Amino acid sequence: MATKTPIRLTINHESYDVEVEPRWLLSDVIRHQLGLIGTHVGCEQGVCGACTILVDGKPERSCLVFAVQAEGADITTVEGLSTDPQHLTALQESFRDHHALQCGYCTSGMLLTATALLKKEPHPTEDAIREALSGNVCRCTGYQFIVDAILAVANGSKEVQE
Amino acid sequence: MTEQAMRPQFMGARVKRVEDPRLLTGQARYVDDIEVPGMLEVAFVRSPHAAAKILSMDLEAARHAPGVRAVWTFEDCPVMLWQRDTYEVGQPVLAHDEVRYVGEPIVAIIAENRYLAEDAAELVTIRYETKTPVLDMVDAIAESPRRVHPEAQNVFFHKVYASKGFDEAFNAAEHHLSETFRTTRQTAVTLEPRCTAAMLDPASGRMTIYASTQSPHRVRSDMCELLGWDENQIRVIVPEVGGGFGMKANTYPEDIIVVSAAQKLRKPVKWVSDRTESLLSDVHARDDIHEAEVAFNSDGKIVGFRDHLMADGGAYPAYPFSGAVGETSLASRVLTGPYDIPYIATTIDCTYSNKTPLGAYRGVWGPIASFVQEGLIDRVARALGKDPADIRRINMIRPDQFPYRNSAGMVYDQGSYGESMEEALKLVDYKEFRRRQDTLRHEGRYVGIGISVFVEPTAMASSEAGSVGYESVFIRIEPTGKVTAAFGLGPTGQGHETTMAQLIADQVGVNFEDVVILHGDTDSAPFGGGTGGSRSGPIGGGAALVAGREMRARLVKLAAHLLEAGEEDIELGAGKAWVAGVPDRAMTIKELAEVAYTHVKRIPEGLPIGLELVARYQPKRAVSFSNGTHIAEVEVDVLSGLIRVLNYVVVNDCGRLINPMIVEGQIQGGVAQGIGSAFLESLRYDEHGQLVTTSLMDYLLPEATEVPRITTRHLVTPSEGEGGIKGMGEGSLIGAPAALVNAVSDALAPFGAMVRQLPVLPNDVLDWVNA
Repeated sequence: MATKTPIRLTINHESYDVEVEPRWLLSDVIRHQLGLIGTHVGCEQGVCGACTILVDGKPERSCLVFAVQAEGADITTVEGLSTDPQHLTALQESFRDHHALQCGYCTSGMLLTATALLKKEPHPTEDAIREALSGNVCRCTGYQFIVDAILAVANGSKEVQE
Repeated sequence: MTEQAMRPQFMGARVKRVEDPRLLTGQARYVDDIEVPGMLEVAFVRSPHAAAKILSMDLEAARHAPGVRAVWTFEDCPVMLWQRDTYEVGQPVLAHDEVRYVGEPIVAIIAENRYLAEDAAELVTIRYETKTPVLDMVDAIAESPRRVHPEAQNVFFHKVYASKGFDEAFNAAEHHLSETFRTTRQTAVTLEPRCTAAMLDPASGRMTIYASTQSPHRVRSDMCELLGWDENQIRVIVPEVGGGFGMKANTYPEDIIVVSAAQKLRKPVKWVSDRTESLLSDVHARDDIHEAEVAFNSDGKIVGFRDHLMADGGAYPAYPFSGAVGETSLASRVLTGPYDIPYIATTIDCTYSNKTPLGAYRGVWGPIASFVQEGLIDRVARALGKDPADIRRINMIRPDQFPYRNSAGMVYDQGSYGESMEEALKLVDYKEFRRRQDTLRHEGRYVGIGISVFVEPTAMASSEAGSVGYESVFIRIEPTGKVTAAFGLGPTGQGHETTMAQLIADQVGVNFEDVVILHGDTDSAPFGGGTGGSRSGPIGGGAALVAGREMRARLVKLAAHLLEAGEEDIELGAGKAWVAGVPDRAMTIKELAEVAYTHVKRIPEGLPIGLELVARYQPKRAVSFSNGTHIAEVEVDVLSGLIRVLNYVVVNDCGRLINPMIVEGQIQGGVAQGIGSAFLESLRYDEHGQLVTTSLMDYLLPEATEVPRITTRHLVTPSEGEGGIKGMGEGSLIGAPAALVNAVSDALAPFGAMVRQLPVLPNDVLDWVNA
């Protein structure tokens, strides 16, 4: 068995000390070592976008990154938005209002991609939203209600929290 | 029908989903989120050949690899799916003498984690002697180049039907035209891949199975039948499921291995498919050929359809539902769709091949049959030089014809066929489109419009969810007055916790927030069929209404006694019971529940202690038809062959709506899948039977940039069943591909193009343009 390396990951402003094999994917470590199961794995080929997290504020596929490569980075997972159903972020709330999710499997990745977009571009056009989401596959919703949810936040007054 | 007990407050409302908060916060648990100490994981060695004899297997290196706890072959789990009963052939859960499709599981490696299991899988050496693969459907039907299973004919399902007087009427028609329609293999691609976990409960010795399935009770029954367990020794738990779309209605070889391994190794065991495995081994769908012919007269009236339906079922019939049989059988019976076409003759042939088994994918028969039916209608229009909308008008089933028996013997309940089309034509401003189309053509731009009027048989006695024609609800008012109801449904994103609570809240007279819906646990849910065939709304929802109404009757009796009033004077709502016209004479449901559970001496004679009951609902009709019209506008770039959807309109009629927001979500998602079906998705095999589309870079799904803004409208023609509800999960994917490809045919009419294959790819466009 390969030897493990101790690393320190910074996820949602908390430090995690964990020993990993160099080949372990960041997605696997986040989910199975750290128990942050809100990050979902849909293809492990970097295509579907379900495992999207923010690395230094930018959307990255956590299935295409080795955990050892993420040391020193500032990582945000869906649990970094809000885990309190009574106090959802404006974006999470808007997803609920617009029925922007069905099975929920792609939702974490969608939320994080949209969070990064709105941070960079608080009032994007519909085309810009669709372009930003084009790396995140949703099989249930047909995207329109996701786009609507993001547009509503972009047109609203609430700040996007991260 | 029985009218509802009270005016609905929640049914029909856009209630926000109770499922959402846990899904939005990353707190929901899917199967892969179930972790138990000591849990082992499985990786499979799968066949790299379409057809080969297995000469030898060397498993020693794998057995000694780090972390490996067991290496299994068929001898370790000698289970056959189908056990050679229904279809003469059975599928071993691990191939042992021969492999019959690429991706067929041969060896199971059970190790401490998936990384180690995959490492060991690489150390397995298997020697094969390849055989000529059977890959062409038409050849296979003619037993060429050989039989897939020596002991059985390739054609495993054959059926012939003709309506009375067909030949005479068909031959007497003024015109005939024929076309061969081809659909290529597609598959559901749930974002959560297939997965199963199993573990023995150390206290009771019972087996707990975590299944990502649409049918919890079906999984339990299958395990009992295949592994010899008793039903009360198995608990199936279905946690969050990341999409199903029919594909998760089957029991697969991997499920059997996981449960067997948990039993024999006495360890928790989990298997989660990776995406390549999914594309190789999830059931495929839509591998069909229709050799169709239509007879019609100069006035546009269609006399009859003749069709030879062929489907490539793959190496084995998927268990326990062969998609090939499902796709062709129902297509042959609903091929005339919403049209009054008096004569039909069909021949069905389903064949084995050396490909992945064919199972269900949303709409099953429907997207194929609509593609054929609407393709024939458009060909008739073009042949006669008439407007395709007019040909539809001439042939549409009229409102006064309901209940309508179609030429294949299916009985349609009331629908809004013509009305849905007229409404959709208005929404797109059809006449204005034709003007615009003409102008643009002069500028060298090719836009087209496609109409698809569909029917959707829902709430059927049998479907891919099995042949349970009813649903059951266990309902209980808790001692605190809150309501708990358990269902045997298997939601995979449809929001049943919300919709079923809406129905029950109205009936029982409580607030929506006071109802909790349980599902996905065979220990708490009464026996049910699960989710599939668009049955959960009408049958599950119907059961919710019946259960709620029976509970309401119980509350009314109790309240009448305690409030000293007649039962007919008791009203229920917002968590209270009161005497009509005397709002002060009231009790809360909590107070009634206290009597029912605690002060039981105050319960009137004839009423039981407690407030719980099981109700079942089976619709009287064998099927209830939803309907609607899709209209697509596309632009085809004749230089690149790329197709862009410019506008899309859906007018949908699924009877009374439980939650319009959720219905619209289903429509939007189905149309997006229709865009995939029409323009992107294709599972391709090479000449050796190798599947060459094993990643999502090769099997293309629609993305946010490819799906246009979709306009939806509802028409409401209630069913005769409980609540007037009809099913609607599949209709959007039934209607969409036909509308989209008819729009391409229309756009490219100047080139004489008529789409006859799904999907239409850029090269097809260039072939027409450059012909």
